[in-house]
Amino acid sequence: MLETKNLNVFYGAINALNDVSITVQPGEIVAIIGSNGAGKSTLLRTISGLIRPRSGSVSYNGKELTTLQPHEIVKLGLSHAPEGRRIFTNMTVEENLQLGAYLRKDKAGVAADMEMVLGRFPRLKERFKQNSGTMSGGEQQMLAIGRALMSRPEILLLDEPSLGLAPFLITEIFNIVKDLNADGKTVLIVEQNANRALEIAHRAYVLETGELVLQGSGQELLHDPKVKEAYLGG
Amino acid sequence: MQFNFGKWFGTRAISVIVAVLFCLLLDKVMQGPDKSYYRFLMSLAGIYVTLAVSLNLINGITGQFSIGHAAFYQIGAYTGAVLAANKFSHLAATKPLLWLFLAALFGAIAAGLAGLIVGLPSLRLKGDYLAVVTLGIGEIVTIIAKNQKSLGEAYGLSTAKIESVFLISLLAIVCIAVCRNLLKSAHGLAFLAVREDEVASAAMGVNLTRVKVTAFVLGSAFAGAAGALYAHTKAFVSPPDFSMDVSFLILTMVVLGGTGSITGTTIAAVVLFLIPEKMRDLPYVQMGTPLGVAIGIIVAVVLLRKIQESFHGSASERLGRNLGSVGIGIVVAFVMAKVLVMVPAFQSMINGALFRMPVLAVTLVVLMLLRPQGIFGHHEFSWSWVQKLLGKKSPETEVAA
Repeated sequence: MLETKNLNVFYGAINALNDVSITVQPGEIVAIIGSNGAGKSTLLRTISGLIRPRSGSVSYNGKELTTLQPHEIVKLGLSHAPEGRRIFTNMTVEENLQLGAYLRKDKAGVAADMEMVLGRFPRLKERFKQNSGTMSGGEQQMLAIGRALMSRPEILLLDEPSLGLAPFLITEIFNIVKDLNADGKTVLIVEQNANRALEIAHRAYVLETGELVLQGSGQELLHDPKVKEAYLGG
Repeated sequence: MQFNFGKWFGTRAISVIVAVLFCLLLDKVMQGPDKSYYRFLMSLAGIYVTLAVSLNLINGITGQFSIGHAAFYQIGAYTGAVLAANKFSHLAATKPLLWLFLAALFGAIAAGLAGLIVGLPSLRLKGDYLAVVTLGIGEIVTIIAKNQKSLGEAYGLSTAKIESVFLISLLAIVCIAVCRNLLKSAHGLAFLAVREDEVASAAMGVNLTRVKVTAFVLGSAFAGAAGALYAHTKAFVSPPDFSMDVSFLILTMVVLGGTGSITGTTIAAVVLFLIPEKMRDLPYVQMGTPLGVAIGIIVAVVLLRKIQESFHGSASERLGRNLGSVGIGIVVAFVMAKVLVMVPAFQSMINGALFRMPVLAVTLVVLMLLRPQGIFGHHEFSWSWVQKLLGKKSPETEVAA
C-alpha cells in the first residue's frame, strides 16, 4: 500500500502541497484531479523522490520513501511516467525501452517484457529502430508508458497522460490504463481531464491549490455537483 | 542471439594487436634526431586527442559542462614531474619507458582522485554550477603551482626528458576505446540519458550522481595521464602551459567536433592543434593580403548562409551552389588581395604568424555559423556509415538515418 501522510511541499515560500494524505491500495486505479497548478504533479514527483517534502511522510508497504533517492524508489517497484512524456528524443524506441529496464539484471525477463510492451503497443513495434523524437504525440505517450512498464513496477505513476492528445488517442490511452489495471497493475494517475480519469478510477481525490478538498469513488465524484461545476464543464 | 566467445575474443584481440602495432609503427617512423620537431608535434597531437576525447566524455556524452579540464591535466603533469625529480629519479634514468608508463598511471590516479573530490559535491548540483566550480578549480590549481616552492613557483619544474610516441598514441587510442566501449555497454545509454533529461533518467532508476561522477573521474584520470606524458615530452612544466586558455582550447575541440561525437572530437583536436602550429612558418605579407582573404571569407559565408536558409532544392543542386559560393569567395579573396595591396596604406609588411589565433577564431565563427552542431554532430564513424556515404545502402543504417 502506498500512503502519504500530512505531506507539505514548498517551492520557496509557496505552499505547493498542504497536509496532503492519500492512500493507494493494491489493484486500484486512483486518480488525482484538479486544475492547473493545484499541485498534482508535485504530489507525484514527491512520491517518486524527485522533490523532497518539508514535512510529512510517504510510505510504500511500510517503508519510508522520503529519505530515498529516486533510483532507490524505482527499485522498490514504483515507476513514474513524468509529465510532458520526457522520452529521450535523440534515442530510438528500443533504447528508450532499454533504459526503462535500466535497473533490471534479468536479461530474459527484460526481453519478455519488451515483447509484452511491443504487443500492447503495436505502433512502437513499427517504430522500434526509429528516433523517438520523430514520432507523434500519441506514440510518444505510449512510449512513455511502455518505458515505465519496463521496470516491471507494482505501481505505475502516470502524470497527465492525455496532455496534448487528440480525443480518440486519449480514449486509446485510457483503455490501455484500464487493461494494465485489469492485468494487476496498481495505477496512480494525475489528470486535468477529470471526466476521463474519473470514468476509469476506483477512487479519486480532488486537489485545489495544494489541498485535498474532496475524495470518493470515481463514480461518486463524477456525479458530485461541485466537481461537475468546477471540472466537468457544468 | 548466440554469444560467440571465440569470435568476440578474436575481434578484441585483433583490435588490440592492430592498435599496438600501429603505435609501434608510428614510434619507429618518428625516430631519429632529424625528426625531433615532428616527433614533438605528433606527441602533442596525441596528448590533445586524449584531452579532448576525455573532456568529451564529461561534456559531450554525459552533458556536464566542465570548463576546467586543464586543472586535471596539470595535476597529472606535476605529479609526473615531481615524482620523476625525487622519489623515482633513479628509475626514470635507468628504465625511462617503464617509468613513463608508471608516471602516466600515477598522473591518472592523482587527477582521478582530484576529480572525485571536486566532482562528488559539485555534480550533485544541477545546471551551470559545475561550470563555475570547474572554472574556479582551474584557477586554484594554477595559483597553487605558482606559489608553491616545491612546485617551482612561476618558473616551473624541470624533469627528465622521455619521449615516447608509442605510449602517447597508445594512451589516445585507449582513451577512445574506453569511451566507445562505455557507450556500447549496458551502462552507456545511461550516460546519454543523463545528458538528454536528468529528471526522466532519475525516474528510470539511473543514479544521477554515480553516472556523473564516473564520467568526471574517468575523464579527469585520462587528462592526468596525458599530463604526465606531456611533462616528460617537454621535460619541463610551468603554470602557463595549463592556463584557462588550454581549458578553452580543449572545450573548443569538443564543441567543434560535435558534442558527444568521439570521432568528431578526435578530428577537431588534431585540426585545432595543427592550425596554429603550422601557421608559425608563415612568411611576412603585405597588410592587404589578409584583409582581402577576410573579405573573401565573409562573402562566402554570407552566400552559404543564404543557401542554407532559403534554398530548397535537391542535395546535389545544393552541393553545386555551396561549391559555387566557396569558389566566389576564393575569387573575391584573390581580387581583393591584389586590389588592396595597391593602396599605399595596406602595403606595410606584417608577420603572417601573427594571424595564428585570429585564424583559429575565424574558423570557429565560420563553423558555428554554418554548422552549429559541430563537424560530426552526434554521429560516429562506423563502417556502415562509410558504406552509406559511398552509396551502398545497408538496411541497418537506413533505419538509423
